[in-house]
Amino acid sequence: MLTIPSRPLTSDLSACCWIPQFALRCEETRRPELAQGPAAVLSPDDSRRVWQISRSARRTGVRPAMTVSQAIGLCPTLKLCEADPVHYDERFSSLLAALLDVSPVLEPAELGRVYVGLDGLEGIYGNLGLQVEAIECGMRNAERGIEMDASPIGSAFRLPTSAFEPRIGIARGKFTSRVAASRAKPGAPIIVAPGTERGFLGRQPLAVLPLDPDTHRRLLRLGLATLRDLAALPEEAVTSQFGDAGRKLWRLAAGKIIEPVTGRRTPEPIVQSLAFYTPVAEREFLLQAFSRLLTLALAHPRRTGWRVRALRAEAKIEHGSSWLASFTLKDPTAAPDRLLALLTVRIEQSPPAGAVERLTVLFTDFAPGSTELQLFARDAGAEARARRRDALRTAAHEIRLRFRRPLLQHVIEVQPWSRLPERRYALIDFEP
Amino acid sequence: MVPTPRTPLRADRLRALNLPVKAHVRVNEAGHPLSLIRDGAELPVEEIRELWRIDDEWWRSPIIRCYADVVLAGGKRVILYQDLVTGDWWMQRP
Repeated sequence: MLTIPSRPLTSDLSACCWIPQFALRCEETRRPELAQGPAAVLSPDDSRRVWQISRSARRTGVRPAMTVSQAIGLCPTLKLCEADPVHYDERFSSLLAALLDVSPVLEPAELGRVYVGLDGLEGIYGNLGLQVEAIECGMRNAERGIEMDASPIGSAFRLPTSAFEPRIGIARGKFTSRVAASRAKPGAPIIVAPGTERGFLGRQPLAVLPLDPDTHRRLLRLGLATLRDLAALPEEAVTSQFGDAGRKLWRLAAGKIIEPVTGRRTPEPIVQSLAFYTPVAEREFLLQAFSRLLTLALAHPRRTGWRVRALRAEAKIEHGSSWLASFTLKDPTAAPDRLLALLTVRIEQSPPAGAVERLTVLFTDFAPGSTELQLFARDAGAEARARRRDALRTAAHEIRLRFRRPLLQHVIEVQPWSRLPERRYALIDFEP
Repeated sequence: MVPTPRTPLRADRLRALNLPVKAHVRVNEAGHPLSLIRDGAELPVEEIRELWRIDDEWWRSPIIRCYADVVLAGGKRVILYQDLVTGDWWMQRP
């Protein structure tokens, strides 16, 4: 049976560790010759377009999402490599494992960006400068694949600068630490002292906010250039113009939102793999193999009583590249058809770029089944019933919110034996 | 012990179902319904399926009713009863 911590750890003080162009950095570590000249990694979803590009390639005019032919036209010496998302994910996982030795509160945001909770670490490592050293030391060790030694003594023997060139920003709350990391240089972290967040954020351009292009354009037309300009407006005025999203932007700009780092839950994944004797390229065969792997993984004893919330599918492609698909299900399920439908759509939209040597399916996160499901986990109908009840509960809640009174009722037996028909049954508010 | 998943009952939140509505009924000499008059139209009783009488709750407010399970012209089935305390006729669903 799986065990998932019910209440994750949180930390207000956050260190955002950011490795820009993480995939390219991974490739440069694996193939040092790429770092010598202009290089680009192809998109994992569309191998006709470039995804991440080196600084020297950018200088020649190459930009992400350009077609390969456009990029080669601008930079004939550009070295291209196919994406290997499985490898990047493994590297990122080893980085997270190393940082987990530094702090138990770790929240990965995206490939190459992770928030480390620092609350309470001063008792272990000392002041913030030493905590940063411990983080940098952990990242370097992960990069080299050696055992963690993040003690202050270990950090006294400084290792050479990381090829990953991580940027670290420290502040209260994830947003401010993220902005600080985006302004930091490798080896020169930015620490925003508590109480100075507003001043620090005020100097930043609007682009650091999580804005859609349209909102960004509108804000610029209003003559706003920095977060200070935005925070100087009345909160109500911004809200009336941009709605709830505007209120959130204003509060971020004013440093009024302190989003804590929330430790990730790390249940042991359920993994099923299949190696092909001869590499397979036909989609039908791949889907059949996925179907088989999903069935085996769902039948795993540890899955009993749990529904799958996060699914990953990996394919090792001949000649060294890979294919990766990750899904986080809004409505967790244990139905193989629903899981397979996700993979079918992904394979139709962006199939592996070559013949597949090995397929792997991983269930990486889980949601508890209903009580009914846990008691009768083998009952295939139990999940469907639980899902219907959940949907009904959600609908009843929405109706109550919208009309401010319960409009759904259900019939109950009151005196079914009564000789007076009006006393046999009654209506009562439906509260699933 | 597993708690019942059902909503706990509260008398003030219950709404009665199948409450009787007042009716105008023509009867024969024996007091059996002949027709039901509703909205100015008279619907003849085609069949009386069952007749019964109840005498209940004599210890507080007595309930004395004569019930008739009838089929009206057109095939609709209803329950008619006469409150023998007041003499009024009432109608409700079976």
